[in-house]
Amino acid sequence: MSDAHLAISAFLVAWLSASLRLAGPVLLAALGETFAERSGVLNLGIEGTMLLGALASFLAAYFTATAWTSLLVAVLVGTVANFFLAWMYVTIRANQVVAGLVFNVLALGVASTAYRRALGNSALPESIAVFQPLHIPLFGNLPFVGPVLLGQTAPFYLTLVLAVVARIVLFRTNFGLALRAAGENPASADSAGISVNRMRYIGTLISGAAAGMAGAYLVLAQVGLFRETMVAGQGFIALGIVIFGRWNPLKAAMAALVFGACDALQLSLQLVGTRVPSQLLLALPYLVTILAVSGLFGGKAVQPAALMTPYTKD
Amino acid sequence: MAKFIERRLAPANSPSLALATTAIAFIAAMFVTSFLFASYHADPLQAYFALFHEPFATLRGFGYALVRATPLVLVALGTVVSWRSGFAYLGFEGCFVVGAATAAFLALSTAHAGSTGHVPFLLFITAATLLSFAGGGVWAAWVALLRARFGGNEVLISLMSNYVAIFGLQYLVSGPMRAPGSIPETSLLPRATWLPFILPGTRAHAGIFIALLAAASVWALFRKMPLGYELIVTGFNPSAARYAGIDVSRLKILAAFLAGGLSALAGLTEVLGSQHRLMDGISGGVGFVGIIVALLARLNPVAVIPVALLYGGLSVGADAMQRRAGVPSSITFILQSLVVAFVLAADALRYYRINPSALWQRPPGVSAGQAVE
Repeated sequence: MSDAHLAISAFLVAWLSASLRLAGPVLLAALGETFAERSGVLNLGIEGTMLLGALASFLAAYFTATAWTSLLVAVLVGTVANFFLAWMYVTIRANQVVAGLVFNVLALGVASTAYRRALGNSALPESIAVFQPLHIPLFGNLPFVGPVLLGQTAPFYLTLVLAVVARIVLFRTNFGLALRAAGENPASADSAGISVNRMRYIGTLISGAAAGMAGAYLVLAQVGLFRETMVAGQGFIALGIVIFGRWNPLKAAMAALVFGACDALQLSLQLVGTRVPSQLLLALPYLVTILAVSGLFGGKAVQPAALMTPYTKD
Repeated sequence: MAKFIERRLAPANSPSLALATTAIAFIAAMFVTSFLFASYHADPLQAYFALFHEPFATLRGFGYALVRATPLVLVALGTVVSWRSGFAYLGFEGCFVVGAATAAFLALSTAHAGSTGHVPFLLFITAATLLSFAGGGVWAAWVALLRARFGGNEVLISLMSNYVAIFGLQYLVSGPMRAPGSIPETSLLPRATWLPFILPGTRAHAGIFIALLAAASVWALFRKMPLGYELIVTGFNPSAARYAGIDVSRLKILAAFLAGGLSALAGLTEVLGSQHRLMDGISGGVGFVGIIVALLARLNPVAVIPVALLYGGLSVGADAMQRRAGVPSSITFILQSLVVAFVLAADALRYYRINPSALWQRPPGVSAGQAVE
């Protein structure tokens, strides 16, 4: 193999494995959001929930716990925080957009106050327990496939499994059917004996659990520390992925990969120093999402019919 | 007999009730937050004094409060126009960026024109206002156009459009408009293009007049003009509007244009009045906080002004509070969001009526004898 070939294949390996790495957390958040939106709730609060999950997992890891326990703590915190959101969305019937945005501000305030409270002005900790890339025996040494697919961290594989599970639960179980009915036609669902509000609570709580875990994923498998700015719109990216993936967990996985690939390509092109503006690549997934949801191409991306509509029993 | 708490036949909608629920929500939020203060061993009263004293009792602080309030008013007005017309637009960060970039571009161009002749400030600010407004308007209108032409959801499209604008700004300040130096930003705008400072010894600038003028215009639009009436009808009931011969899609595109234009002016005032250069992250979430301000003002263009001043003032006072009472300024975020959360929750009160008289009304029979005493 010539040098050029080697360079290209090294670039591809680096690019693809970075794509998968960056796609992981947003996919996880998007999977949860799919449940919320399928039940009729647009949960914009996942941005703030990710931040809370990141903080919770960081503090848990800092004060003794192992990586897996920290992940679990983040899931719990995300779920509890979204109980408040679900109450606003479903019981109070507040405007979902406003409630979600306000929650994000609240989460920012809580997270940065709590972080300073817990650590004071002490210097940044050297290290916390993080997930290391797995080394899968035998297959891990395969050229190309090894480093790209099999060299990721444990949360990545967990996310992949969860994508399949989410798909089965949503489309192959009675619970999934009831949840989707609550989001498509709440009145019919209600007359069929489904508690619409209960389904929406569950949908919101699932999105909270997933977003909390996604925040932990960022801390425990990517960054290794906590900063107030670390989520930086990734919750909103997850919303884009849900739409781009047309409210389907497996398509969301593909969509997340597109987002991750653009992000990673932009990073590596910056290193190489090309003349392509990196911002164009960063904006590309959003443009594609806008096109996907606008219905310009390939028919309309059909959102759940009752999305953002609070349900009132007559 | 009247019950103490009674369900209303129709939800109440009076301005005094709105004011009362907002005030109650504010007090409740301050009450909850004071427990946080107490946990820092800070005297809540002292902390609140610091929070409000700086922006509302010192000239310098008030100047800063005006600076922070100006873009909030304009974004909130954009929210009022679009949401009242039934167009749930969320792309104000993007419009802000477009307006800021347009204003900065024009201001920098006058520097080049400066060699041939000086551009009068009034001419410049008129042109900049019109072009920024148009830029932001078009940026919002294409979302409405997509929505009207192909369906799709404006909440989601406009949310995504923010990022496209923000990355566009990043490209501009790190590429074509970048000044020499290590930070991606433009060079300082020519002094002649700055909005004049209005209070000696403070940073307050004339942008607040643009905001007040815009508020008056939006008020006039909704109260005095047939177009405003048609917009409100479209927002309340699109099918009724269509039945009455109103072109609903055209009106929504127009509403989006006006909303985008108003919030683009927020970007203009920030660039020409406060930052005096264009840089990455210049919007800093104003496009979202403005929505919250509009909501607290119940989508009323006049009420937007005091609410924005309060919110701007709180963010100024937060730093003073941190210095004087030793409470982290991030608690202000908690206070601000709790207010809104309580307002949302207090909305449920609109469905109920409280009858204080029910407390001293006795059951019939008993009352006759006791009433004489």
